[in-house]
Amino acid sequence: MTGTYGQRAWQLASFVLFFGLWELAGRWPVSAAFPPFSRTAVALWQMIADGSLLKAYLITLQPLALGIALCAVAGIGFGIGMGLSRSVEWLSLPIFIILQAAPMAAIIPLITYIYGIGLTSKVLAVIMLAAPVIVMNSYKGIRNTHPSLLQMCRSFQGTRRQEIVKIVLPHAAGLIFTGLRLGLAMGFIGIVIAELLITPTGIGDLITYNSSIADYPKMFAAIASIVALAAISLHLLERLERRWFP
Amino acid sequence: MRKLVSALAVLALSSGIASAQTKIKYALGDVIGIDDLPLLVAAERAKKRGVEIEITPFKNEDIATQAVINGQADVGQGTPYAAIENVNVPIRFFVQLWSLQFFPVVANEHYKGWKDLDNQEIAVQGRGSGTEAIMLLMAKTHGIKYKSVSYVPGSQVRALAMIKGNIRASILDNTNKNFLMREAPGKFTILPLGEVKASDESLFARLDYLQKNQAAVQVFVEELVRVNREINKNPMSIVEERKKLGLLKDLPAKLEEDVPTYFKDAVAGGIFPNDGGVESAPRNDLEFYALSGSIKKQSPKVDDYWHLAPLKAALSRLK
Repeated sequence: MTGTYGQRAWQLASFVLFFGLWELAGRWPVSAAFPPFSRTAVALWQMIADGSLLKAYLITLQPLALGIALCAVAGIGFGIGMGLSRSVEWLSLPIFIILQAAPMAAIIPLITYIYGIGLTSKVLAVIMLAAPVIVMNSYKGIRNTHPSLLQMCRSFQGTRRQEIVKIVLPHAAGLIFTGLRLGLAMGFIGIVIAELLITPTGIGDLITYNSSIADYPKMFAAIASIVALAAISLHLLERLERRWFP
Repeated sequence: MRKLVSALAVLALSSGIASAQTKIKYALGDVIGIDDLPLLVAAERAKKRGVEIEITPFKNEDIATQAVINGQADVGQGTPYAAIENVNVPIRFFVQLWSLQFFPVVANEHYKGWKDLDNQEIAVQGRGSGTEAIMLLMAKTHGIKYKSVSYVPGSQVRALAMIKGNIRASILDNTNKNFLMREAPGKFTILPLGEVKASDESLFARLDYLQKNQAAVQVFVEELVRVNREINKNPMSIVEERKKLGLLKDLPAKLEEDVPTYFKDAVAGGIFPNDGGVESAPRNDLEFYALSGSIKKQSPKVDDYWHLAPLKAALSRLK
């Protein structure tokens, strides 16, 4: 119990220290455009109360959810395919390695030349960032199946289908779930980049608009809210992961 | 006596050097394009008079404005009235470069006039931008209401999206209106626009900067006004100056053809003020940007947004 309280106390202290330093930096101030934490918190509350934050998230989460759902189905499927078949691996691996290394902020605006400025481009931006992580994790999960387990299955006259369904997939499930969690983190980056670089909608609109009218507390509040939402979502998924795949 | 003379000579020389080193850090909220030619010419001439204009292009106007607010840049370009109202650092406009010249454009296939835009989607530069203000003003004038307003930064992006059919009604700057009409002849119509004379691009700086550096700012303003007057007298003068000074050397041939057209259209539209907008700009801006919602203050005063001393001093020298 003492250990848990100790841990909580340190975690709380870390938050207090961070927000305290933010407040000091804002009051000093480090720049005329850097608001103290207290003003940012008030602005966040105002945006929650007037409904503008909720309205923005309803727009932002749409392409994020669609992109992650598509990646979850197609990305995991592709990763499993790459893990199970050498031909699929040779054909696809270079593409995903390049996508992982590519500077996406430079590539995302190019999507608009093909897919315009609507929802499709934003979903694609999420996919381009999230897919490589999800695919590569699924692929590695399949490839890293312990050889002794496969040998055991074969020595018991197990079929290829049984080998995949009963050994390979359950063994890879943990890593596939980790891929999904990391993919969601990349998806958050993707959607914010898309909303800032393609067309300002949702949370991207709140950031750009408040920046353009120099309402910096609201701009920082919008940024802080998306960081907080991403961090909380990932933390919850991590807890779920620990429970399901201890 | 000889020593005194040589000391005075050294002093004069060093003050000359100091004056030659006066630098104005200029934050441009866009890439340098054809429309910035008057600025580039003025900067070259100011340099010869000992005032170097160091132009840094930023990703967009907001970041350029932020650089001025933070003191990382001395002078910014644009019309950030809302920002000036919100920020706790006194920022003032001091000269108008040119007034608004935008063209509402619609796809012929779908719309013919303003009335057809009732309950339809339109695309503008950004929330609270001059382009949005114009489109809202026109909606009010024609008694229509848009279904939705999308924000698509960059006239070029909107023009390309119109060619691809992703946007059916928007508002473009002169360069991209010409580009659209050339790339897709007969497919788009320019809708008539009433008299809008507010600033499209004005220069602003921190008030303390303007007060401390009035001499350097005045030289720069003099050159800006001088170039505008030359263009108004003869739009082709800027083409000749560009060649003479070797400006925008890497301009693609296709865009090069647009330079004379752009300046002829601009002069015909009367967008370059001969007096830096000393009388008209503050008056028109306060009226227009209050209507657009950028200025929220009740009964706004010119002194709260403009500092006209360097412009007035420059005009008195130019007479």
